[in-house]
Formats: sequence, C-alpha cells, structure tokens
Amino acid sequence: MQYPLKLALQSIWNEKWINLLSILTIASGLAVVSLVIFVMYNIDYFTKRLPERFSVMIYLKDGTSESETGTIISEIRKNRNVEKLKYISKAEALNELRSTMKNSDYILEGFGENPLPASIEVKFHKEKAKPETVKLFVEEMNKIKGIDEIHFADKFLRSIHSVKTGSQTIGFMLSAIMTTGMIFLCYSTVKMLFYHRREEMETLKLLGATRGFIRLPFLLEGAIVGLAGGVTCIIALATFYYTVFSKLVSAMPALSFVVFPPIMLYMLPPAGLLLGITGALIAIGRIRF
Amino acid sequence: MIQFLNVSKTYDTNLALRDINLSIEKGDMVFLTGPSGAGKTTLLKLIYAAELPDSGKIYVGEWNTGGLDSDSIPLLRRNIGIVFQDFRLLLNRNVFDNVALALRVRKVPENEVKARVMDSLKIVNLRHKTDSFQGTLSGGEQQRVVISRAIVAEPAILLADEPTGNLDRDTAAGIMKIFRYINAKGTTILIATHNRELFSNTGKRVIRLMAGSITGEAKG
Repeated sequence: MQYPLKLALQSIWNEKWINLLSILTIASGLAVVSLVIFVMYNIDYFTKRLPERFSVMIYLKDGTSESETGTIISEIRKNRNVEKLKYISKAEALNELRSTMKNSDYILEGFGENPLPASIEVKFHKEKAKPETVKLFVEEMNKIKGIDEIHFADKFLRSIHSVKTGSQTIGFMLSAIMTTGMIFLCYSTVKMLFYHRREEMETLKLLGATRGFIRLPFLLEGAIVGLAGGVTCIIALATFYYTVFSKLVSAMPALSFVVFPPIMLYMLPPAGLLLGITGALIAIGRIRF
Repeated sequence: MIQFLNVSKTYDTNLALRDINLSIEKGDMVFLTGPSGAGKTTLLKLIYAAELPDSGKIYVGEWNTGGLDSDSIPLLRRNIGIVFQDFRLLLNRNVFDNVALALRVRKVPENEVKARVMDSLKIVNLRHKTDSFQGTLSGGEQQRVVISRAIVAEPAILLADEPTGNLDRDTAAGIMKIFRYINAKGTTILIATHNRELFSNTGKRVIRLMAGSITGEAKG
C-alpha cells in the first residue's frame, strides 16, 4: 500500500494543475447538488410544518345531549389519523368570540340567547393531513347523529398537498438532472486526468504488472482528488453559510426558518470519494492483457 | 527455452508470420535479422504474449503462450526482460524509479530494491544518473536505462528489439558488450536487429526472416 500511495501522491504533485482542476470540478458539482438538496430540504421542512395549523371544525346541533357529545368524541378518537381534539362548548365559543371582538362586543348584546353552536376542533397527524384522508373522515362524521356541519380549509389543504408533491417531483427531477450532469462533468475531468496515462499503463502491463498493481495508484489518486473535492466543497459552503447567508438572514428575517441540514456536510467527503474512485475506475476501463 | 511450432500470425489481411518453426535453447544468444516489416517485432511480441498466434503453438519455458488466461500473462512476462524499440520509459519518473519498476511489479521488498537497482545501473554504467529524467538523457543513455530495467529482475529470457537502432557505432558496441555479459551469466537472449555489425564475427546463431518466413540460419 505504501508504494501505490507514494505513486499516487507523486502523481498528484507532478500534475498539480490538472488535479486542482479535477478537485474544483468535483467541489463545484457537489456544491450544485448540495444547493438543490438544501432548497428541497427546506421546502419539505416548510410544507411539513404547515399541516400543524390545519384543523377540521365539527359543529354540533343545538340540543345535543352530553351523552351524544361523548359518543361523537369517542367516534372521532377511534380514527387513527386524528392526533388530538378539543371540545368547545357554546359558552366557550361565545367567550372566545367576545375576546376576539374586544371593543365591538356590544353587538353580541343584541342576541338574547347564545347563537353559537358547540364544536369540536380536530387536528390530524402531520403526515395524515391529506385531502383524501380528511375527505373520508368528513364523510364518516356526517353519518353520526348530532353533527350539524363540518368545516375545514379544503383549498388550504389541497394547496399544501400540491406544493409538497410538486416540489418533490420538481426536486427529484432537478436533483437527477444535476447529479447526472455533475457525474458526467466529474467523469470527463477525471478521464482527462488519466487519459494521457494510458501509455504508462501499457508499459506496466508489458513489464508484468497485474491489474491490481496498475489500478491501485490510479484509484488512490482518484480517491484523494475526490476527497479533496468534497472537503473543498464543505469549506466553500460553510464560508458561504457563515458569511453571505447569515448576513442575508439578519437583513431578511423571513429567511430565518431556513435550516442547513448538517448531515449534508458529513455526506460531502464520502460523496467526493465515491465520485473520484468511480471516475478513476471508469477512466481506467477494463485492463486487457 | 523458447519454441515456435508452425506459428502463423496475420494482421487483418497482412500476413506477418507464416509457419514459423523455431527453437532457442536455454542460455543461447540468438540474433533475428531481416529488413523492416519482415516480422521480427511480431515474433518477439508473440513470445511475451502481446500478440497471440492465429495458428501453431509457442512455448516459453513452462508456458504455452497461446493457452494463457489473462491472469497468467503477467506471470509469464515476469520471466522476460524486454528492451523495447521505443524505450517505453516513463516520463514522470527518474532513472532509478524507471528501473525499480521492474522489481516493484514483481513485488520485490522495498529494502532490496535500492541495492538491486544500483547493481543493475552499474552494469550499464549509469549509477551517476539515478535522479535524471528521460528528457535529459542521450539516446544511448536511454537505451542503457531500458536495458538496466530489463535485466534488474534477472529474468530467464531477455528480448531486445532493435537495441542499437539510432545509436552510433561506439555506443552500439558498448551495448553489445552488456548483452554478452548478461548472456555469460546464463540469460537467454534474443535480439531483433537489421544491423549486421552487431552479429558479425560473434559466432552466435543468426536467423533470417523475410516477409514473415524464416529464410535461413547461419552463425554470425
């Protein structure tokens, strides 16, 4: 291992410019893919949090007895998609309305009797708040005696869902295109790096070298270049995040919800390593004697 | 040591060798001569399995080169030292590393490499050039580095393709002296050359090739 490693390091030094070009190409490629993942991660993170605000309001008929209300609540609880519910009595609903109206609550004085119905606010598990799940739930609830009306933000739910699925599809396509392009670019650079060394491989073969002996220094060289590309990418992204991006966030607080997935940083060096080795393997090709 | 039995080789439609029968004994020094295109290089390539015969059999030591799988070819080549017509020195390595390469592919321990390379460079009188690169060496010096690389692992067979091709008389004579020295130590040598001066008055076997066929044999 010592000799192939020495050869790989010697070769990197002897051809430092083309190696530097390869490192920068891999770093840029990884940065582009990281950017796509970063945007995708944040869209996903944002859309996952939106359903927390989504709820279904079930209004009960006036005169629904306590036992009927209890039955309705236990029916709702049976549904696996429901995370929690809150019963709001007629009096609570009126108090809430009063506090919302503050100085205009004299309007309510005109009503002799409390006109507001009792209701139950139902919240779904984040991942279950999908249009079709909610629609099924509403259909089931409508069959239960004592329920007057059911309200929910159908459009809101549908738009969250379409943003989520749309961003996932676009993100997937974009990542696939970017990754393919990047792999091709890295492969071309690494191939260029090794192409003019074919003569050297030929000579090694004629001197009695085995495939492993020929390949190992090249693979090590590819691995070192790839790893250096990954590390360069981390340095570039971290510099960008802590200088440009943190200033942007302080200037535009709306961006404060944006998070930087730390796993991405851990993944960059192995990704670079894999790219370098794969590029070298493809560039060397099959060694025929 | 080397045996050709009815060997023929064709490149596309060009016949390179036709029905060659040849036997070279262990420790022999044999010259292969003939004009350019006679098939000398092809014959050498068949010995180290850079080419395979279309028909016939070639035995090199214990190996039948036509029946070798690709994993055995490196093992065959480790028994053969080759002086290539185009040198095949690695530009990015110095003289020492170029010569050492022949030992390293054979997995000789690193602590033995230095001494053996220096011994080999001493034979070709190039010990003072260990750190030089190909670009700074004369044609004769490059040829001697190639010879040093070919003999450093003490192979049983040495093949030399036009080893004095572009060299002046004195340098060529010096290289022949090295070959005689190596041969005297027991190495079987086959030299392909069109330079008559190399083999005249040597008393060695000279095989004449013409248009892919052996047309005669004599003593030099």
